[in-house]
Amino acid sequence: MGTPELVERRKNLSLPRLLPYLYLMPLIVLVGVVIVYPFFHAILLGFWQKDILKAAGTRFIGLDNYVKLLTGERNFWLALRNSIVFTMCSVFLEYVLGLVSALTLNSKYIRARNFFRALILLPWIIPIVVNSLMWKFMLAPNFGFIGQLLAAVGLKWFQTVNWLGDVNLALPTVILVNVWRSFPFYTIVILAGLTLIPQELYEAAAIDGAKRWQRFSHITFPLLKGVSGVVVVLHIIWTFINFDVIYLLTGGGPLYSTEVLPTLLYRKAFEEFSFGYASSIGVVMLLILMFIVGKFYTKVIINRQ
Amino acid sequence: MKMKRWMLSILFLGSLLLPLAFGTIFAADKITLEVWHVHNAANSRDGAAMEEVYREYEKAHPGIKINLNAMTYADLRQKALVAGQAGQGPDVLHMLVEWVAEFAKAGIITDITNWVDEWEDEDKFPESTWQVTRVDGRCYGIPSVASTRLLLYREDLFKKAGIKAPPKTWSELRAVAKKLASNNMAGFAFCSATTAIRGPQEFLVFLWSTGAELVKKENGKYVPGFTVEQVQSVFQLYYDLIFVDKAVPLYTRGWEWQNLDQAFEAGTVAMCQNGSWMLYRAERAKTGKMWKTAPFPYSKVPATYLEVKVEGIGAFSKYKKEAWDLLKFVYNKENMARITKYDNLPSRSDVMNLPFYTSDPVWKKAFMEVIPTGHTVPPIPLTPILRASMEGVQEVIYERMKPAEAAKVFYDKVAEYLKTL
Repeated sequence: MGTPELVERRKNLSLPRLLPYLYLMPLIVLVGVVIVYPFFHAILLGFWQKDILKAAGTRFIGLDNYVKLLTGERNFWLALRNSIVFTMCSVFLEYVLGLVSALTLNSKYIRARNFFRALILLPWIIPIVVNSLMWKFMLAPNFGFIGQLLAAVGLKWFQTVNWLGDVNLALPTVILVNVWRSFPFYTIVILAGLTLIPQELYEAAAIDGAKRWQRFSHITFPLLKGVSGVVVVLHIIWTFINFDVIYLLTGGGPLYSTEVLPTLLYRKAFEEFSFGYASSIGVVMLLILMFIVGKFYTKVIINRQ
Repeated sequence: MKMKRWMLSILFLGSLLLPLAFGTIFAADKITLEVWHVHNAANSRDGAAMEEVYREYEKAHPGIKINLNAMTYADLRQKALVAGQAGQGPDVLHMLVEWVAEFAKAGIITDITNWVDEWEDEDKFPESTWQVTRVDGRCYGIPSVASTRLLLYREDLFKKAGIKAPPKTWSELRAVAKKLASNNMAGFAFCSATTAIRGPQEFLVFLWSTGAELVKKENGKYVPGFTVEQVQSVFQLYYDLIFVDKAVPLYTRGWEWQNLDQAFEAGTVAMCQNGSWMLYRAERAKTGKMWKTAPFPYSKVPATYLEVKVEGIGAFSKYKKEAWDLLKFVYNKENMARITKYDNLPSRSDVMNLPFYTSDPVWKKAFMEVIPTGHTVPPIPLTPILRASMEGVQEVIYERMKPAEAAKVFYDKVAEYLKTL
């Protein structure tokens, strides 16, 4: 027997009380190993020069990577601008297309709705690599499907347009391919949101003589804001860090016209093997994302609540 | 009850561990050699032949299992360097010549100088092929398959345009390309994608043919081996072919090798710089019989890209001796001849002289004949220079810079980079 404090302490350390933590242990270890450790390691790496192909090798350099990135990297500001344009245009167009397609598929006048709902998912469920290579082939000048199609309807000039190889057309083309791939996700989420809107509201509005546009702007759209906020925030993050679509379509070119921060980071890390410098790009990306998403989240979601 | 639970727990644990124990026992007497390479049996007949050779070795050596991992060149380089950072890697790895110095400096391949010195087949490989395997005088691999570059052209289109012979110089190249170009036909085409692998190789052939070198050593330090004027003349040629002669259509800007090879096969390109792997496409293309080869046109001196692939042994391999024995088998005379029938050329002189390689005038003999004019890349990490070359080409062909300005920028970038080595 011991003092009441000792008994209490023993109770706290008893197996039933520790058991939940033991159950959580594998998950904690897993998260620690695959997320927490790499995260902090990458932040620390940003303060080091770690070039495995250069004689200078590895040494602590403080903020030098950041100074070089913000003042000496000629592609950083270009990549940042492209990242913002790519993200904003993609998310906006995806949302508009997703909303329109969801409203259409929710209409009672559409027959075989379930078939079309399944069909619209196709672009999203095709693996990104297949999707991107398929578009690359279709967009090829001269013998690509898109050029041939446009030529067949009389727009012969388009047959030789180099959609992905022209400095002015490459970024808009990459955005359109990304929109095509991603908008079905919005469709599905918005469709789910539409089913949650009570029918009575529409009936009451109809009795009050509200027209279709008024019903949309006063009932549908406001009640979709929650769902829309979540899907837009998610897609801002996913699009800002999107690497595969751009890399597979253009590799960041031509002449860096489609260079975004993820492709710049990849190039520094896995072509030049400057891991420290690449980590500093990753940290800057994280800060930018935290700022944008934080602002958006506070404005759209918290304020709404 | 308690006893029963214990028994059950032990049985359960035992059943989990049993396969592991058996696995360890059976695995213990077999060595597994990991081979990282690019030869895909599914899309290359030489690749299929190579796989056969590896399987034969397995059969002859029951204690050895060979895991063949085929991947793209970009993946191979990246995987090897990243794995090397973690102290891991394959037993045998295939390398592009421009990676040898990179990998040696990163410490991920083994110095095999002593083994090579004792190998009875060492003198069967020409000295020029051994040169690409050496860094600071030490040998880091054996030369495997090789390739050179020629002018690939359509004989039928030449005849139709009244052109009697393939161009020999840059000025002839421009004139012939201009004559061949039409609405649906590029008189000439080249690679210029940002991530192009072949683009820099084509650029180097142009540069070498001005009499320049890519880099040279002065007082123990690497410096650019070319002048601004020499590289300017190369950029000027790119510019003239597109904008002055209109022999290279604008839509070909940004092409990678897949686009170029595909377009040549489809019959929309009349001439390009290419390798013997095009035989594969020639055999299936309608116009394939009309495809001919000739030495690539030059400015001051004939030049071609002599690409010798190198097979190395991973620095972290536990079975270096076994890996070396495997390499000696795969690249012996008989096997080298088997794996270079289609896409590649042999790097052994005793194979080069076999009738098969000396009788085919278009796809084998012609490519072998230009070996004396072949240049190899210097033994330094080259990725930043190769990327800078494509940036220069793009600045010119997208009209962002004049050839003179792009040449100056390229020279400065190369000089700056060489200081960091």
